[in-house]
Amino acid sequence: MPAKAFLNDALAVMTNEFRLLRRNRTAILISLVILPLFFTVSLGGASGRSGESFSPIAHLTIAYVDNDVTIASGRLLSTLSSSGDFNNLVQGYSEDSAMATLGTGRIYAAIIVPKGFEENLAKNEQANLVVYVDDSLNGLGNQIAYSIQSSLQKFSPRAEIRPVTGGAQQIEIIQKGAKFSSFNIGLTIILALVIIFATFYEIAGGMSRESEDGTYARLLMTPTSLGAVVFGKTMYDLVLNAIRTLMVLGLAIFAYGARPSTDFGTILLISLLMALLTMGFGFLISAIGIGIRAVIIIEFFLVLFLFAFSGFVIDRELLRGVSNTISYMLPWAYGIELLKRTILIGQPLLTLTGQLEFVLASIVVFYGLAYFLLRLSRERLVR
Amino acid sequence: MAESAITTRGLTKVFGKFKAVDGLNLDVKQGELFGLLGPNGAGKTTTVRMLCTLIEPTSGNATVAGYDLLREAAKVRREIGVVSEGVMLYKELTIEENLRFLSKLYNLPGGEAEKRIAHLLEMFRFEEKAKRMVKALSSGWTKKALICAALLHSPKILFLDEVTSGLDPQSAAALQDFTRNLCKEGVTVIWTTHYMTEPEKICDRVGIVYAGRLIQVGSPNELKNKVSELSVMEVETPGLTSRQIGKIKEIRDVCNISYNDPILRITCMHDHALAENVTRILLSEGAKIRSINTKGPSLEEAFIKLTGGEEEIDRFLEKARME
Repeated sequence: MPAKAFLNDALAVMTNEFRLLRRNRTAILISLVILPLFFTVSLGGASGRSGESFSPIAHLTIAYVDNDVTIASGRLLSTLSSSGDFNNLVQGYSEDSAMATLGTGRIYAAIIVPKGFEENLAKNEQANLVVYVDDSLNGLGNQIAYSIQSSLQKFSPRAEIRPVTGGAQQIEIIQKGAKFSSFNIGLTIILALVIIFATFYEIAGGMSRESEDGTYARLLMTPTSLGAVVFGKTMYDLVLNAIRTLMVLGLAIFAYGARPSTDFGTILLISLLMALLTMGFGFLISAIGIGIRAVIIIEFFLVLFLFAFSGFVIDRELLRGVSNTISYMLPWAYGIELLKRTILIGQPLLTLTGQLEFVLASIVVFYGLAYFLLRLSRERLVR
Repeated sequence: MAESAITTRGLTKVFGKFKAVDGLNLDVKQGELFGLLGPNGAGKTTTVRMLCTLIEPTSGNATVAGYDLLREAAKVRREIGVVSEGVMLYKELTIEENLRFLSKLYNLPGGEAEKRIAHLLEMFRFEEKAKRMVKALSSGWTKKALICAALLHSPKILFLDEVTSGLDPQSAAALQDFTRNLCKEGVTVIWTTHYMTEPEKICDRVGIVYAGRLIQVGSPNELKNKVSELSVMEVETPGLTSRQIGKIKEIRDVCNISYNDPILRITCMHDHALAENVTRILLSEGAKIRSINTKGPSLEEAFIKLTGGEEEIDRFLEKARME
């Protein structure tokens, strides 16, 4: 029964991996405790608990330019001022002077109330607000837009932020009605980071260490198939990833009040898909026959690369030119999108067929290529 | 299983432009202790690695334990055990744990595996060391652990690649005895080494490998007989200078000289009054002579003669390094 033998061998490889992990307390500590804790606590420390009165933009000086000078625009000013997000709203700037001052560090944004604001509201038409932002602060635009949007919902459901084009500053429209906390946004990034960081090292690093130590040759000397070795190591790392995902989620929810818009199972499933993707890539890299140092360098570049092109910092849709093209070729970008869309807005996983298909296809391609190359580079890996 | 444990025909391995093994034709009988003798870089380990299915031959074919090396690699692996430099155990695990893990990969039933592990640990007298991590063992004990791992599944063929390197003389001798006993039990052993004295002591037959080619095959005595024209003399003469050794080298037909104070070993093609010539030169150079012995050639001398002398070996190794 080859299938039974295959599973028995894979199980033996997996059990052996756990035995090896048990012997290496540092690895347990780093892989399962420090890594998830570090990222989650760092974000928690920086952004605070969800729903906390702390606002990262409350202390920034923001110009309020009222070109309408009506009861509505006055009411908007008091709504914003009392929101807790805008404690330093200053008046007296004209639209031109506000724009000229932006970027000097004296003001960080300007909220412009255009003429006809109250009139539009009275006529039940869409009233627009224009917001200029100092783009030298990464992420400030989104944060201000989010805070204004929250206040506007209390003020009038018809009020909306309009993007400004043609200027140096621009602010994007945040989807109306999306009620995700800043910690939820971070949660998607933390999950992706923890998975990619740990998984790639565990697989590519583990394989390269086995090759250097001569234990890979020992495995190949037994009647076990290469497939059983790969499958056993994959199962082992899937278990570790499940533990890590639960740790990050637990911390995010219970310590920092994150409220994912989807269920535990969906997040776990996506995280395991991301892990499989990274494992496939890890096996692929290990087939080159590189040493452990090279693995660390590649991991460093992989994470930097994904930071730049996978929607970690800037959403994929907002990237331009070549960056955008690259991002559409990176399977991790689709995985991150799956995390974002489920955790942030609760989109059902099965409706994200395009992203799911791309991730699944990439897993198959990575594993297929890795298996082929591992067979091909057998001599290089047996030192 | 066929009577022949290993058969190779035209087995060749090329790495880039370097031909590590060149058209190897070999027949090893069941239960035989076969030595592969050759200098470093001669192609011994590459040969073993091909026969162990670790690397694929570039051309040629082979059967190991009756199975085709390429088409039935998994079956070959069930029948062989390997102790080689690049095939190690998990350092962070104990020997017992390593053996248990391997027993699962060899699909040994639980009870049988435990009995076999206990037997091997007892045979090699591991006792409390069986609970130690491999990384905490000395090189001698590590080697024993590797042999245990190679014998775990009762292989029909055992490859021992440079197995005594790094061992103290007592351990090496014990290992040689153990290997001889294994052969008596019907296990075929391929013993590769660059130590010329080992195969002479233990091997039934020896294959001399040089520059990737199998130059000669025969029992140690047969090989020595092939170079019977060689004459070897050992002179006990302490404190020789390089100038004095140089004078001895000038004697006609001297093909090899080694000096390990106080023993001067001279190999000569024909015994043309060698003793008289050596004595005369040493005395005229003011050296002291304590004793003189004349012997037949050792396997080492036979090897050097059969491979074309030390200079040829040096040239080969230099070429290999350059490539």
